Amino acid sequence: MSELVRIDETTWEIPASARPDMRVPARIFADDEILDEIAGDLSLDQLENVATLPGVVGAAIAMPDIHQGYGFPVGGVAATELPDGVVSPGGVGYDINCGVRLLALPLTERELGARREPLVHEISRAVPAGAGKHGGIHLASADLDDVLRNGPRALPGVRAEDVERTESQGRLEGADPAAVSERARMRGSNQLGTMGSGNHFVELQEVDEILDPETAEVFGLGKGQVTALIHSGSRGLGHQVCTDYVKLMDSRLSAYRIHLPDRQLACAPASSAEGRAYFGAMAAAANFAWANRQSIADAVRRAVRSVLGEDAASGTLQVYDVAHNVAKVEVHDGIRVCVHRKGATRAFPAGSEDIPVAYRGVGQPVFIPGSMGTASFVLAGERGSLERSFGTTCHGAGRRMSRTAARKRVHGSELRRELEARGIVVRCPSPKGLAEEAPFAYKDVDRVVRVVEQAGLARRVARLVPLGVVKG
Amino acid sequence: MYRFVEHTAELEVELEADSAEGVLAEALRAFAELAGSGEGELVERPVELSAPDPPALLAAWLDELLFLADAEQLLPESADLEVDGTSLRGVLRTRRGEPRPLVKAVTLHRLRFRPENGVWRGRVVLDV
Repeated sequence: MSELVRIDETTWEIPASARPDMRVPARIFADDEILDEIAGDLSLDQLENVATLPGVVGAAIAMPDIHQGYGFPVGGVAATELPDGVVSPGGVGYDINCGVRLLALPLTERELGARREPLVHEISRAVPAGAGKHGGIHLASADLDDVLRNGPRALPGVRAEDVERTESQGRLEGADPAAVSERARMRGSNQLGTMGSGNHFVELQEVDEILDPETAEVFGLGKGQVTALIHSGSRGLGHQVCTDYVKLMDSRLSAYRIHLPDRQLACAPASSAEGRAYFGAMAAAANFAWANRQSIADAVRRAVRSVLGEDAASGTLQVYDVAHNVAKVEVHDGIRVCVHRKGATRAFPAGSEDIPVAYRGVGQPVFIPGSMGTASFVLAGERGSLERSFGTTCHGAGRRMSRTAARKRVHGSELRRELEARGIVVRCPSPKGLAEEAPFAYKDVDRVVRVVEQAGLARRVARLVPLGVVKG
Repeated sequence: MYRFVEHTAELEVELEADSAEGVLAEALRAFAELAGSGEGELVERPVELSAPDPPALLAAWLDELLFLADAEQLLPESADLEVDGTSLRGVLRTRRGEPRPLVKAVTLHRLRFRPENGVWRGRVVLDV
């Protein structure tokens, strides 16, 4: 590992001089224990690779939930100066606009009482899981184009306040359905409204602790309140868009005289034909993902209506929806840049015009899911994020153990019993999939959010604990 | 021969055979272990792929298997392939079924496909 220079308690840097091909330093937000955890894998080598991208400015940045990925590390941020800095599909990842949406139900855990288990079961029936197509909303080609251009606004009966309380209001400008391949359309046409597999889930939770009462009130959260956290992305459509453009840009590297230390970092100048086409397709896939989480939120409300009644369903309000795999055009320090966030969340502070009016006094909400069975956090963006991380904070706990190692350590049925013994209702089609997401396979989420708070990127607002989990 | 290698978040597959075609057959077997097998009648599909270099051809082959599984629920069983440098053609035999939800995409990270000391070796990292 290259020499790490400690900047302050939670900030470290690898100078640009560490490698001849690095254009900027690599900056890591971490404490000693987190640094020890990533020392054994390729996370920092991958971060140094990101620092070689043409047009990269400031620093290649890693959040405390960083772990080794392919190409970019997960938990990585890179900004490239426009118009000619590069855009890299691998810097967004295959699950374009994978993200998290939080709904707040109008009742407390005590008021929910014995209806907890029926509600979790009803949510599992209402939200199709897994990777297949069954249960998704079939979209005719014209309707799919509408979703790709307009996101949740293309869906019937969508609440205006849901759209308002979604990052970028659920619609990235510049989306170009024509840049999305027929293969991507085929993979996505029947998957709208499905959760997907792996670490995707819908979790029913209770607000366990309020850490910032004023901000929690603005977000509509109170102690004991029941919430539903939705984690999903752009499904097969997004996976295929990334596949198509990694392949295209990989084939054009020599034409742009771009030399990369890792083929998966394939990229092209944002101003090039390939760069513009990718941005149009990526924005379309991001809009699809927001529509997907909207459809899942609608399904959760149907489950709430079925178990708790109409008043509870109509009173189930969206707190916010954030993307954590996306590239966006933003202005930082007066420079127009393309910010790649791969496993990292925008965290704009109070005063930003890019967040809902209701939140401009406190900063945007950010949701940090913990591992299954542990706490999740609601954060608020802080000014330090603009100064130090291109307006970005972490996105989750971050894996620390491979899926195979997790399966070797616990069986799914044993884990289910442990969770149920703690009163957590579990609905998961695969014991193997359950074991792979065991809490010990992830870093300690409390530690991760303490680091971003100490670094001034975001502050803790509320801590949520699980009541039930529906996994893909 | 194929084997899965430990990776923090993703899944790395190492492949080995006597020929390029053999490595692609091993890749099919590894994918089938992850995606599961189908039922009912055999569905044959002609396949013709080309890529800028041999490693990209291995990725393109797995991309094809993933696309057929995700978009058409066709799970691979076997294939007769001929490889000519950076292209392949042949017939893929599949059966319909619900793919197990694991593989999202085939990456170019650490990608390898070449002969070494008389043995063909491949390596690919899958996003799962």
